[in-house]
Amino acid sequence: MAEGKTLTLNMGPHHPATHGVLRIVLELDGEVIVKATPHVGQLHRGIEKIAEGMNFQQVIPLTDRLDYTAASLNNLGYCLAVEKLLGIEVPKRAQYIRVIMGELARIMGHHLWLGSHALDIGAMTVVFYTFRDREMIMNINEEASGYRLTPSYLRVGGLAKDITPDFIKFVRDFVKWFPTAIDGYHTLLTDNIIWRKRTMGVGKVSAEDAVNFGFTGPSLRGSGVPYDLRKVRPYSSYDDFDFQVPVGEVGDVYDRYLVRMEEFKQSINIIDQAIENLPEGPVNVDNPWVANPDLGAVMEDISALIRRFKIQCEGPHAPEGEVYASVEGSKGELGFYLVGDGSEHPYRMKIRSPCYILTSALPKMIVGHMIADVIAIIGSIDIVLGEIDR
Amino acid sequence: MVKLTIDGKEVKVPAGTTILAAAKSAGISIPTLCFHGRLDPIGSCRMCVVEIEGCAHPMAACTTPVVEGISVTTNSERLQRIRKDSLKLILVNHPLDCPICDKGGECLLQDLVYEFGIDRVEYQTPKPERSSQYATPLIRYWPDRCIMCLRCVTACREIKGIGAIDIKGAGYGSQVVVIDEDKCQSCGECLQVCPTGALTENLSRYKGRPWLVKRVPTTCTYCGCGCQLELNVEQNRVMAVTTKEGKGVNRGSLCVKGRFGYEFINSEERLTKPLIKKDGEFREASWDDALSLVAEKFKSIKEESGPDAIAGLSSARCTNEENYLFQKFMRAVIGTNNVDHCARL
Repeated sequence: MAEGKTLTLNMGPHHPATHGVLRIVLELDGEVIVKATPHVGQLHRGIEKIAEGMNFQQVIPLTDRLDYTAASLNNLGYCLAVEKLLGIEVPKRAQYIRVIMGELARIMGHHLWLGSHALDIGAMTVVFYTFRDREMIMNINEEASGYRLTPSYLRVGGLAKDITPDFIKFVRDFVKWFPTAIDGYHTLLTDNIIWRKRTMGVGKVSAEDAVNFGFTGPSLRGSGVPYDLRKVRPYSSYDDFDFQVPVGEVGDVYDRYLVRMEEFKQSINIIDQAIENLPEGPVNVDNPWVANPDLGAVMEDISALIRRFKIQCEGPHAPEGEVYASVEGSKGELGFYLVGDGSEHPYRMKIRSPCYILTSALPKMIVGHMIADVIAIIGSIDIVLGEIDR
Repeated sequence: MVKLTIDGKEVKVPAGTTILAAAKSAGISIPTLCFHGRLDPIGSCRMCVVEIEGCAHPMAACTTPVVEGISVTTNSERLQRIRKDSLKLILVNHPLDCPICDKGGECLLQDLVYEFGIDRVEYQTPKPERSSQYATPLIRYWPDRCIMCLRCVTACREIKGIGAIDIKGAGYGSQVVVIDEDKCQSCGECLQVCPTGALTENLSRYKGRPWLVKRVPTTCTYCGCGCQLELNVEQNRVMAVTTKEGKGVNRGSLCVKGRFGYEFINSEERLTKPLIKKDGEFREASWDDALSLVAEKFKSIKEESGPDAIAGLSSARCTNEENYLFQKFMRAVIGTNNVDHCARL
């Protein structure tokens, strides 16, 4: 530290490489970081509070806007929590379609991560290819729900509607095409000497540290801990599928990169198994208090009309109690803690955001590195500010 | 006191109490539809059926008085089936009106159908054409929505003591009719107790959903009675007037004026500023101008002709406090005992 003086540099919130509106105050000694303080909250919308004034079904579109890069996974976490509170289980077909939507969302999330991560570090080409393939998933989302980025396709008790034959065709096309695309990504980066020099040995986190920081998801697995909620605590029929949990060895940026690249393959593998073994049957739970009667019945049957009216305008009342349900989101363990008080609103909703916890470890990870490495490290933990700030 | 068991719970109630009231006192709730706290039990809907040990048939809890030593079951598979079937029989000719019904969201029938989770109605019935026989300019009767619970007929007879309406016909063709047109005062007691949207207010129909309005509790301004009512306000406009059962001196009842005479509140013709006549024409003035003009005139009349040349007429639509102040003003300031009050409307 020459002359004992440091330079304070404000990075963000309006910085394209902070993946949203993260602001980090860096203290620099030359180009080396001696202290880093992340400031979050710039994207706070009060989603948890807003949810308290809504009925359970109405909250779903809010959850899309947490980790908007992988929206369906947020829906899944929330729906599982509400279903646990209400004590219902959705039919097998709905579970499989949820898995397909969830894994597609994971791939979408990783697409955005890979494209922007490479772009941040200077490899501009990758983003064009990942967004080309991301577009295919967007089309699948659109076919299922009508929305491309934030589908809100899941419902408490099942799905908004059944899938179409076109959906199956689009998914099969994607499953067929995507392994070729992954190979393409690898040729661009994996053995690229600049990429390796920028990522190897940067932002190392030991397995012990990762667990102590509360890391989950690919960032934890990059440090060599084989912890995946889909295996540890299977939900939504994940135990029906055969897949592996990739782990890293060193825990640096490059390892986290490799883990996510492998997750592409595992996800597409799960989607392939789910779409080929899709069970027949209804997509909504057979429960007159939760499942919305379809419009055909509403036009003819007064009891269906009344129930639809009540379910839409008021919604099912949750029993008193509290539940926690979590899913393996594209960034880590995304958990929803809900308290029911007998009314149709959640009395309290708390979201366990994996990105928030990853961000809290950021100061420890970037101290001692250069400014350019900050960008690489932020990219490698793959944070989304929509979820951090909620 | 009579001792009985309800759902295994020992209950002690005075003789003559119904099973429904006994269960309520023990904290056991029995679903009801036609039962209304202000009316004598009607017993038309069969929702409150209970099983009594030793009785072959289930009995209606609202009309059956307690008997020493009986054992009552309020919930069983059989009772649930009977209740569900009763609801289905009501639904069988209920129109698909919920999306346009003013009562939608506050409807007891909707609540019960949802509570019992009725997912289909297996029965079918021919739907006879029914014309709307009972209606006034203020009350609208929808015969198709009527579930023949008889609450309106009973309320007209028991609460108001009028007995202007009754049920005519039998089976699916039955409907509410006016039996004595001169007697009906359009007080709206019938629509207040109607559990469904069969009787609705004609002034506010299609204006909004009941759960979207803000209910502002206030006192009726029409007469000195001081009935408690709630103004249903949406977007700063009064949409309807409702009351809460058992609240205020009126205990939930209203007369035709209190219930339907609210349109003046948002009337464009309403006088909101004082007017002073100048050259034979009324002109808008400020309150200061108007009050000083009145004070001036009072003073000159008092000086010219003495205080007894002035008389004051107050209004029953003012509060007691305002009326007190008015007479005080007349006696102490003007100096006259010429004070009167309309005391009627």
